[in-house]
Amino acid sequence: MNIKITGGRLYDPARGVQGATQDLFIQGDRIVAHLPHPDRVIQARDQVVAPGGIDLRGQVATYGLNFLRLWNRFPSLKELGQLYAASGYTHVHEPFLTLYTAGYVHRQLAALPLVDTSASLALNLRDLDSSLKSPGQLEELGQTIKSLQEKTRSLDLRLIEPFVRYRQSYYSHRTMEAAKTLETLTRLALECGLRFNLEAGPEVLEAPLPETRAFHLAALGRALTEERQLEQALDHLEKGGTADLGFQARNASSIANEQPVKVDFGWYHPLNLNPKTKANGALGVMRLALQYQGPGLAFSVCGPVWDPTAEFPPCFSWLWDRAARPAAWERQLPGREFSLSEWAWATRTLPARLLGLADRGHLGPGARADVALFDLPPDTPSSQWAQSLSRCHTLLKAGEVVIENFDLVQPETPKATYYRRAGAEEGPLLAELCQYRSFRPENLWVADELGGAWVGLE
Amino acid sequence: MCLFKPTGVQGKVEVGQQSVICTGCGCLCDDLDVAMAGGQLLEVSNVCLWGLSRFFPYKRFHPKKERRRILEPLGRLNGRLQGISYGAALEHAAEILGKARRPLIYGLTNTGSWAQEAALQLARNLKARLEPADLAFKAPYYHSVRKHGLYWAPLEVIRDEADTVLFWGANPLHSCPRHLVRYSVFARGRFTERGVEDRQVAAVDLYRTEVAKFCHLFVQVDPGQELHLLKGIREHLQGSPGPGPAVKGTRRLAGFLSKAEFGVIFFGRGAVYNQGLAVLDELGSLAAHLGEKQPFVLFPLASDFNSGGLYHLLFNELGVPEAPDFGHEGGLLTSAAPGDFDEVDAILVVGADLFWFLPEDQGRALQDRQVPVVSLSPFANRTTSCSQVVFPVALVGLEAAEVAYRMDGLPMVLKKLLPTAWPSDREILLDLMKAV
Repeated sequence: MNIKITGGRLYDPARGVQGATQDLFIQGDRIVAHLPHPDRVIQARDQVVAPGGIDLRGQVATYGLNFLRLWNRFPSLKELGQLYAASGYTHVHEPFLTLYTAGYVHRQLAALPLVDTSASLALNLRDLDSSLKSPGQLEELGQTIKSLQEKTRSLDLRLIEPFVRYRQSYYSHRTMEAAKTLETLTRLALECGLRFNLEAGPEVLEAPLPETRAFHLAALGRALTEERQLEQALDHLEKGGTADLGFQARNASSIANEQPVKVDFGWYHPLNLNPKTKANGALGVMRLALQYQGPGLAFSVCGPVWDPTAEFPPCFSWLWDRAARPAAWERQLPGREFSLSEWAWATRTLPARLLGLADRGHLGPGARADVALFDLPPDTPSSQWAQSLSRCHTLLKAGEVVIENFDLVQPETPKATYYRRAGAEEGPLLAELCQYRSFRPENLWVADELGGAWVGLE
Repeated sequence: MCLFKPTGVQGKVEVGQQSVICTGCGCLCDDLDVAMAGGQLLEVSNVCLWGLSRFFPYKRFHPKKERRRILEPLGRLNGRLQGISYGAALEHAAEILGKARRPLIYGLTNTGSWAQEAALQLARNLKARLEPADLAFKAPYYHSVRKHGLYWAPLEVIRDEADTVLFWGANPLHSCPRHLVRYSVFARGRFTERGVEDRQVAAVDLYRTEVAKFCHLFVQVDPGQELHLLKGIREHLQGSPGPGPAVKGTRRLAGFLSKAEFGVIFFGRGAVYNQGLAVLDELGSLAAHLGEKQPFVLFPLASDFNSGGLYHLLFNELGVPEAPDFGHEGGLLTSAAPGDFDEVDAILVVGADLFWFLPEDQGRALQDRQVPVVSLSPFANRTTSCSQVVFPVALVGLEAAEVAYRMDGLPMVLKKLLPTAWPSDREILLDLMKAV
């Protein structure tokens, strides 16, 4: 169908459009420069028109996450997909996929309707420590990691623990501390064309990050507890690096009561699915977001996502409305307020670039027609933006109207899972990695039946 | 290597081998190789005696006793099961289930995930109750997790790291025979390269089972002593043993657990036979207490091959790992307690043998009330013999492709290797949905 969206205020930071009233033309699933005879005209007067949202860190399919439902009846995956669409999102990126939970994660992502999905392969450096210590093996290691990425059908790479540490004391001689590990990983990244999402913890920000091109700092919220870490993160951004905020969602700690909920992936520490909210962490994120005014900062929340329509808007309120910030923060925060353009950049344009989705996150000709329209007249005070932007009036995905007048009209819209097709060769290191598994390799790798529809990106 | 070749196959057969996943139990062993020729299965290697019964029509652990494959749809006419067409069977089954006011869909732990999804949809359409076959086993576990929190690890991590393994009311040699060699005791993991020599193994049971032969510590208790034993262990671990007489083995078991660097308690159905809720509550509390110092996992040893898949589906779709009742007047009601069969007026059994597990009096009561049963099964069993309608089904993972979840919740794709004339569970359930 050919569609014209007319009268709306466009926010397309990739092209420098900041609220100008412009028409938008859609032909099939793509945005085009002009369309003489549209089949349908969507009136967008008093509406904000933005690219479809991309959740850079949507923890919705992590292995073990289901157990959290024991404490709260949080939405099913079907409902969660609908909530994402309702808040204007068209893509969700799961951060925790491991070598042997890849099938599980993809099967969960496939059950998330309406939105496209992808996942990060979380590497366990303990599996690779011999190669990390051998400079001559970096090339093979790089090929192996690319191969793993393709076989687990993940889109990018993530490091939860950027060090090598063993729980078994008799392996202590194989320890590699964070600084040394990051240095080696930098060489690996630059030599092999890799980039790592580095889960930011206080320990990570204590170590010097040698090269900003090699690392994206993920979920800063947990790490920014001290002044020094804030400076380190700012330094990384000022040098041209990228990061995502990792807001600790407001109601995360009240969701699953006080019981520990931990899953052991074989890392040095288990993954805590019920992390406690740290007040100074949220303050640190706010300070960083308001002090830094460059293009390297994306929006994200830390911890499992329960309801994007309810969790994300309060975080934005703090950013764009001084009055919404807790009074205790007043003297510690810069007086700056986020603009709508910055919102669109942090939730759409930058996440698309970070994930390598070239035709998303912008509204230029050739982009896929993922467009979200929000009721927000020009004179609306910023105190009401969160309410208006929490639910989209109209959502188009690949040129198809999915939400119209706040109602879901196309629940069966096609969706896909994106992964990186690296074309790497399988080496002996890959076979070595597989030898400790209880799975045969063909069952370790993600089969077509466990997810999809698959879209491989070169 | 355990190699099984059915009788009648002489000499070496020149055939290609295929890797296959065994649906014998929740281990979903993926290191089996099968040899086939002319659309027939000739050999299976690496298979246990339990798994064997999935590939060949023999009884569990008795490869010389044959099981009868159901060859055609059956309907009960004049009191006897007789062959009928698939369409007639579908019509008859739809009539039974469509007329019922309180239908029950039972079992599903021994069938694939796609079939489970279809069954859940059918339960919604029929406004039926859906009851997992092992609800009495799993529900106390989830109750315990809700109360004491969770430390969970997949079998990969347990195999690599666990140095202290306790079996409680479980005999894996019978419930999931290769668990010991693949994951828990004899497996050579990354940090347990010497297998059983790198692990300490103990067991608690009412009877001295075969497990005692390789356990470093075996504690035999009398019925009803489990709670006393668990409380005694807790007191010893806290350094304040109670004044009364302790169950024999309490002190040694406490010492055994306290030395763990990575511990795991595998519990089986034996843990829930007597005061299951209380025993699991104490086991959960014990694991949580031990877990304060080092990783300690409480792990249900599910014997049905896709029990994990069913609870995963219930978590995903309904948010609770319990039996949903879509026919409840006030909306969806879920229950952790196995259902009362007294009010049921029609039963659809899929992936289970209901009449094998039912107490005799309950089974007889169902028959006395002439509650019609529709069953889906590849082989004749007690339930099919009591059914009004029987559908023969393809064997999952051999004659029908499916997805199943290993007992640690990791999904695996089961391939279709052999041609078959029989439809899969899922196809029949979808047809039933249309027909009802």
